[in-house]
Amino acid sequence: MLDKISIGRYYPAHSFLHETDPRIKTILYAVYLVAIFMIQEPIAIAVLAGIVIVQLILAKVTPGILWSTIKPMLPLALFIFIINVFSIRQGDVLFSWKIITITGYGIGRAAIMAVRLMFLIVSTSVLLTLTTTPLKMSDALEKLFSPLKIIKVPVHEMSMMMSIAIRFIPTLAAETDKIMKAQQSRGADYDTGSFINKIKGYVTVLIPLFVSSFRRADELAVAMDARCYRGGAGRTKLNPLKMNGRDVLTGILFTLLAALVVVIDFSLR
Amino acid sequence: MPDDSNRIEISDVTFSYEVTDENSSRAPRRALDGISVSIEKGSYTAILGSNGSGKSTLAKIIDILEVPDSGRVVIFGKDAGNDDLFWDIRSHCCCVFQNPDNQIVGTMIEEDVAFGPENLGIPNPELRERVDQALKDVGLYELRHRETMALSGGQKQKLAIAGALAMRPDILILDEATAMLDPVSRDEFLELVEKMRIEKGLTLITITHDMTEALRCDKLVIIHKGKVAMEGTPEEIFMSDDLWKYGLKRPVKFNYAFEIARLAGGKLTKEDLRSDESLIKSLAKMLEKPGIKVPDAVPDEGKSTGGKDIIMSVKGLTYSYDGGDTKAIDNINLDIRKGEVLGIVGDSGCGKTTLISHMNAIIRPTEGDVVIHTEEGNLSCSNKKDTMKIRQKVGLVFQYPEYQLFEETVYKDIAYGLKKMNIAKEDQKDLIFEAAKKVGLTEKELDSSPFELSGGQKRRAAMAGVLVMRPEILVLDEPASGLDPKGRQEMFAVIKGLRDSGTTIILVSHNMDEAAVNCDRICLIKGGKIRAEGTPYELFEKSKADEIGVQTPRITRFSAMLKDELKKTYPDIRFEGNYFIPEMEALAVVTAVSRAGGGNAR
Repeated sequence: MLDKISIGRYYPAHSFLHETDPRIKTILYAVYLVAIFMIQEPIAIAVLAGIVIVQLILAKVTPGILWSTIKPMLPLALFIFIINVFSIRQGDVLFSWKIITITGYGIGRAAIMAVRLMFLIVSTSVLLTLTTTPLKMSDALEKLFSPLKIIKVPVHEMSMMMSIAIRFIPTLAAETDKIMKAQQSRGADYDTGSFINKIKGYVTVLIPLFVSSFRRADELAVAMDARCYRGGAGRTKLNPLKMNGRDVLTGILFTLLAALVVVIDFSLR
Repeated sequence: MPDDSNRIEISDVTFSYEVTDENSSRAPRRALDGISVSIEKGSYTAILGSNGSGKSTLAKIIDILEVPDSGRVVIFGKDAGNDDLFWDIRSHCCCVFQNPDNQIVGTMIEEDVAFGPENLGIPNPELRERVDQALKDVGLYELRHRETMALSGGQKQKLAIAGALAMRPDILILDEATAMLDPVSRDEFLELVEKMRIEKGLTLITITHDMTEALRCDKLVIIHKGKVAMEGTPEEIFMSDDLWKYGLKRPVKFNYAFEIARLAGGKLTKEDLRSDESLIKSLAKMLEKPGIKVPDAVPDEGKSTGGKDIIMSVKGLTYSYDGGDTKAIDNINLDIRKGEVLGIVGDSGCGKTTLISHMNAIIRPTEGDVVIHTEEGNLSCSNKKDTMKIRQKVGLVFQYPEYQLFEETVYKDIAYGLKKMNIAKEDQKDLIFEAAKKVGLTEKELDSSPFELSGGQKRRAAMAGVLVMRPEILVLDEPASGLDPKGRQEMFAVIKGLRDSGTTIILVSHNMDEAAVNCDRICLIKGGKIRAEGTPYELFEKSKADEIGVQTPRITRFSAMLKDELKKTYPDIRFEGNYFIPEMEALAVVTAVSRAGGGNAR
């Protein structure tokens, strides 16, 4: 079921990370993004994994939810792994046949690449999408980027667009499912045939999906207009962002932990 | 003349939509053509009209979502043409639109309710107080931290009401807000709205295709081709014989009452229509008068139970999504007979869609099976090899199929299934024309883009795309939803034509009135299980209907009241069954009365 897709989905719960200020979470996310791509030593990766597990516990994310977040990305991770295994030719050759060469070093590098991708997904989920509602996230981005307003960057509009886009992910996923079912019952087959045919099959899904997205966009625009939306000026907030000592402390602590991971990694090289 | 601060005054307003397509030679489409309407503060007004009559545009003019080309709009003494009053007027007028999904901005319920007042710049703590109050008013307060997407259709529309109430409006406009709801949610929604109207002193304007809903209003305005065609109280409007000209119908019970009056040689007055009690009283009185011709025979609605041949059997079908514990459908056993119209009825979320998705293997059975009996042998939905054959034999038209059109022309769109089935190009043409004829599309329409057609025509084009495969069984999910009364009638005429040409039809509906009239047999589903199964006559018989907890058709409910009244005069009167077409039920009742010694015998 496409509407059960959980990338970008919010997970309603009361947890430490849910209540942490979204600005702190956004900054932490950036910090961890850098850390994930800087490290390559297994021990550093293990430490990072430990930290991420702590974050998962702080967010009250159950293994089931974690799995449904990771699952759709597994094929991509596998793809990245295989490509890297075949394309890296340094190190001791483990296996060689015609043009295929597999090296021990290559497997190690490929594994790191795949693991990085998984970290990327888990961090995005636990720090942002699972624990932060799109509206809060757009509030956070609006605040963080508000200095850009001076150079006429429409920060409010961009954050509003983002939160609406996220809000419509489940709606459009359900719609895609519906369109595919309707076309399947008219004889469409998305699973067999050549690659080109499969792509062609999806085009007939995308056209009605686009048309309906425009229709939805039109209707939503009218509905927002009717509710007196006129951009960011003069708007108030039901739940204004409030940063307290705990949020700052959380931010500092996890930043230090990320730095520690990087230091461990560099010292092992 | 000073502007009346107690009225919405729309005088001589004209409005045209710009045609955005550059290549189109069409002139701007005129939606409103010199319309003048006056609506009193605190009143409950219904705006009626066929699809494309301009009624939604009128609503947008009142909320200044569109600015008229000419004419004057004055809302409670404030001129909408005055730019300084623009936001002031708009902030006191709120709209609830048709599609629940396309008006929700927030991911969380309370965030969405707060969207309007936040835009108005309401500071905390007043903002918090408004949001909480609005959520309590509509009964969603307990759910305030939930995701909006987890709500049912009915709850989403209540959320939209809460979003409006939080803005503390004077005017609330419902733009076909109940069109996508099932009868239970619809009644709940309308009761909530009426309660809010009284409590908050709202001026309520509703745009609807549901004539029974219109009966709740103080005043009806009928719009036709951008002008006011008729205006008056519901009883004044429904006295008129002209409604059909505007694509509208009387509520079912009035059709029935007028037919009885005609048969009894009496005449109903405006006063009679005012309430059920007065209508029943004058009908009963009319039937007591002498001079009623005894009808020759009790009518026959032309229902058959179909042949004895079973064309499809559903056997022990059970399914749960994502392998969860909650069963969407639970041990469904059902035989579909060749040539019948089988109705599948039940509230939203009862499992109807899951059931029909199994019928052409869109969902493959995990427990139980669906077997199609054909001349070439049996096809099983659990057998992957039979899938393509089954999809040809069983056509499935989902709800709102028009949203799934995608080709450049209607012709090409209809041909899609044939291409997928690898039918030769030269054979396609005849099949396409045949399918177009069945649904009543003209050759000109076949060559136009599906996006240029009107709503009803689009839906027919989508149906033709399924019919082109010449299915023996056609499954239709709410084929008439969202259409105006005329469109609905035309849709059911198409369905009847298909049935007469031998197609077996499975009709999914939550509208009991239409199911009763159009189905030979009805299967009621509750909580994923079959609750009852039988002819409409058996199912809607009073004691049976009470037992299985199904709402009987409106005609049956109203007629029962009249029958009870008649029993007081004629203790021995015998009524033979229920009919669901108003004219037939009227005939049956008049016949029963004359047999019991009413009318002539006096």
